[in-house]
Amino acid sequence: MKNIITGENIVKAFGEGDEKRNVLDGVSVEINEGEFVSVMGPSGSGKSTLMFALSGMDGIDSGKVAFEGMDISALRENEFATIRRTKMGFVFQQPTLLKNLNILDNIILPSMSSERKNAAQITERARVLMKKVGIEELEKRDITQVSGGQLQRAGICRALMSDPEIIFGDEPTGSLNSSSAEEIMNIFSEINDDGTAVMLVTHDATEE
Amino acid sequence: MYNRIIRNDILKSKAITLTITIFVAAAAMLVSLAAILVVNLPDAIDSLMTRAKTPHFMQMHSGNIDTDRLEAFAVQNVAVDEFQVLEFLNVEGAQFLFGDRSLADNVQDNGFSVQSEKFDYLLDLNGEIINAADGELYVPICYMRDDTAKVGDKAVIGEKEFIVAGFLRDSQMNSTLSSSKRFLVSENDYAEIKSLGNTEYLIEFRLKDLSTLGAFETAYDNAGLEANGPTITYSLFKTINAISDGMMIAVILLVSILVVAIAFLCIRFTLLAKIEDDYREIGVMKAIGLRVSDIKKIYLAKYAAIAGAGCVLGYALSFLFKGMLLENIRLYMGESENASFALIFAIIGVLLVFLAILAYVRGVLRRFRKISASEAIRFGTSQEKSAGTKHFHLSRNKLINTNIFLGIKDVISRKKLYTTMLAVLVLSAFIMIVPQNLYNTISSNNFITYMGIGSCDLRIDIQQTDNISNKAAEITKRMNSDNAISKHVVLTTKTFIAKSSGGAEERIKVELGDHSIFPIEYSDGRAPATENEIALSAMNAAELGKKSGDVLTLVIEGKEKDLAICGMYSDITNGGKTAKAVFEDNSAATMWCVISAELSDQALIDETVLKYAVGYDFAKVSGIEEYITQTFGSTMSSVEKASYAAIAVALIITLLITLLFMKLLVVKDRYSIAVMKAFGFTNADIKAQYVSRSVFVLVVGIVLGTILANTLGEILAGGVISSFGASSFQFEINPLSAYLISPLLMVCAVLIATLIGTSGAGQLKISENIKE
Repeated sequence: MKNIITGENIVKAFGEGDEKRNVLDGVSVEINEGEFVSVMGPSGSGKSTLMFALSGMDGIDSGKVAFEGMDISALRENEFATIRRTKMGFVFQQPTLLKNLNILDNIILPSMSSERKNAAQITERARVLMKKVGIEELEKRDITQVSGGQLQRAGICRALMSDPEIIFGDEPTGSLNSSSAEEIMNIFSEINDDGTAVMLVTHDATEE
Repeated sequence: MYNRIIRNDILKSKAITLTITIFVAAAAMLVSLAAILVVNLPDAIDSLMTRAKTPHFMQMHSGNIDTDRLEAFAVQNVAVDEFQVLEFLNVEGAQFLFGDRSLADNVQDNGFSVQSEKFDYLLDLNGEIINAADGELYVPICYMRDDTAKVGDKAVIGEKEFIVAGFLRDSQMNSTLSSSKRFLVSENDYAEIKSLGNTEYLIEFRLKDLSTLGAFETAYDNAGLEANGPTITYSLFKTINAISDGMMIAVILLVSILVVAIAFLCIRFTLLAKIEDDYREIGVMKAIGLRVSDIKKIYLAKYAAIAGAGCVLGYALSFLFKGMLLENIRLYMGESENASFALIFAIIGVLLVFLAILAYVRGVLRRFRKISASEAIRFGTSQEKSAGTKHFHLSRNKLINTNIFLGIKDVISRKKLYTTMLAVLVLSAFIMIVPQNLYNTISSNNFITYMGIGSCDLRIDIQQTDNISNKAAEITKRMNSDNAISKHVVLTTKTFIAKSSGGAEERIKVELGDHSIFPIEYSDGRAPATENEIALSAMNAAELGKKSGDVLTLVIEGKEKDLAICGMYSDITNGGKTAKAVFEDNSAATMWCVISAELSDQALIDETVLKYAVGYDFAKVSGIEEYITQTFGSTMSSVEKASYAAIAVALIITLLITLLFMKLLVVKDRYSIAVMKAFGFTNADIKAQYVSRSVFVLVVGIVLGTILANTLGEILAGGVISSFGASSFQFEINPLSAYLISPLLMVCAVLIATLIGTSGAGQLKISENIKE
């Protein structure tokens, strides 16, 4: 199986002086193609910190993180931005959609930032994904005009736009009611069934 | 609680708090200085004029004088308290030697006087009346200021030697705006040097009651007494003494208004960003029942602390600088007797700045009332209406780069937020273009049309001398046989009594001669062609209540003569009040003559000017460009300097406000930036979005500013010019500087500010900002 992300002896500390505390203390992890990895633990145990470290959204104090064998600390900002845009997808606890854009524009936004874009193809793919997660009627709505569950589905569509190698989910159901949460988890399972690796951070054991 | 909140807020935004404090301090300092000057200046002028016993009415005159007739007039007129005729010995600047320096290049009419016996005293620097001993020379204070002379210097006037014994304050001629300067010598010395120059007379009156001055002026005019020089009244002396420092006060006040406005903008940006940051907390506070006034107090307290600190600092700073600004007043006029009152006035000024800031902050905080608690708790941000972006979708965008699209869309969907920046850019473009256009207009060759003179190459002025008409005839005789002169005309100015629409009598200056040889532009009608026609300058027409087609009655040789008003023209010379006619008159005295000439070859101007200047030393000969420069040179130079200063100020404001705005925008948008970075937008992408936003606002700002400059700006500049006597005014625009260089400078300033202001976006950590 193809290796996607490897973390070796990751150390990440917060605080200064006497208050300095290692949240990640020599953590090693490997995520391969098509795997579904859940990271569980109580609040403050460093789950999100590990996800931010593995996805390169946050730096580490020591150790190494590699994406498809490339040391991400050696990549230039542009190179890593391209990887994030084309090979990684992110879904956060809050939907993180931009309020000036409607649902469709939010979904296509990362894809439209690439240098060579085909707006028609991108929009078409967005519509296919929206249909898949059941929000095809909402494309012209502002983000204030839809529910939290619908926003989270839009966030998942956005993460899937580039057909990424891996999707990172940071407590994606944390702000949803139980029925919405179940639907979202089903979508993650379907994504994984389609061959995309998933790394999910959660404090709720029932989610897996 | 307030102390803790204020301290935390200030620590979190040190740079912006410091910037606001500096601007508040600067504004408070300037207002305090202006207040100190406002109290000191009139008081110092009053002290000087009271001690010197400045005349209430002064008529300058040269040539023959009938002192007995003047004496008789003074005795008969009940309003007169004291009367005297002083001599002023006008001596060529080259005759004054201080060491190896002469006054040859000095533009002032320098001359000598002896100390007056009754009033109009020349005072020393202690405010005491000077008694000059033989061999002593007292020098006008302006020559101490420019280091022309110092006490103990040897001075040679003609061949007579003097020692500079001190400097004098002259309540009439202190100001550099007054064209004459009096040196004081003893009576014996005066008699000795009298042959060096021409004697002019200062016919002076002090009245029992200053309020009767208007009636006295009319009585003097009507008596037909000596009057071939300027007439100056007590209020005009006061104005001349006040004008330089008064202008400084006006400039300081204007600058302080500008600085307060900038402080307001800084406060607005900071406050709006803070409200946006705290949106959810404000919602929560409202939801748990805190009154809006209580919530307001938390925010108001911080700005009250900043404004208070800034005002105290500004007031203290004004003490450091007041000496420097008062130096001129102290030197020229002496100490004010109300110094302590000035300090109280300064405190009131600073207090006004403080209250204005608080009122402004309260105004901005009014938006708390509109915040919906439920919306604020749910969304955590204000839900700005995005009208106008309904049809502006990324999915439909096929033409514009995504970053540019996002930049423009952000501006359109958050119009309110960008309005302040737009207003600043419109204002900057306006203050950049208007002074430039004004300078271009007054420095262009077409400006001559506003001066009431036709287009010619050479101009000879004959005034303040005897037998003006004969002297003019002498020159024209030579011009008739001079091949270098292709055409010329003599225009003679005399004063006549005119009757206004209301029946009041007024003396007006009428330029007599053939006005068809060098025609001017008439804003209405045409030049006078017959003996029964007269053209009036715009200001004269307004004052006399006349328009083209009306009849103006002049009193000529004691008889009334009706003249048809055939035209109106712009004239900003001679106080804007002139008239042109062609009738013959041998009764009234000639005030001055102007000979205008056109040369057969333009290359001969310098040579011809020199030829006539050498041949006729009683006349002032100048090329027309030189004449304009001499007449308006200092104004042109001031406007030119002001236009450069305006460009600098506009660019600094643009740079500063854009910088602050962009910094605050990055703080406000940190969540969106983090989201975009998480999904693969690079720092360059984010910068491109911010540059697109600022350039978009800038383009709209420049277009609006330019339109405003060419409409409202032209009206404002026209208003200023018309107060000098122009009837119509149109900007002469230099498209290269107004439409290309100025916008480019603004683009550079905005780009630099945007790039610096958004540099923080690159350092922004996704993990720290993406969690709400």
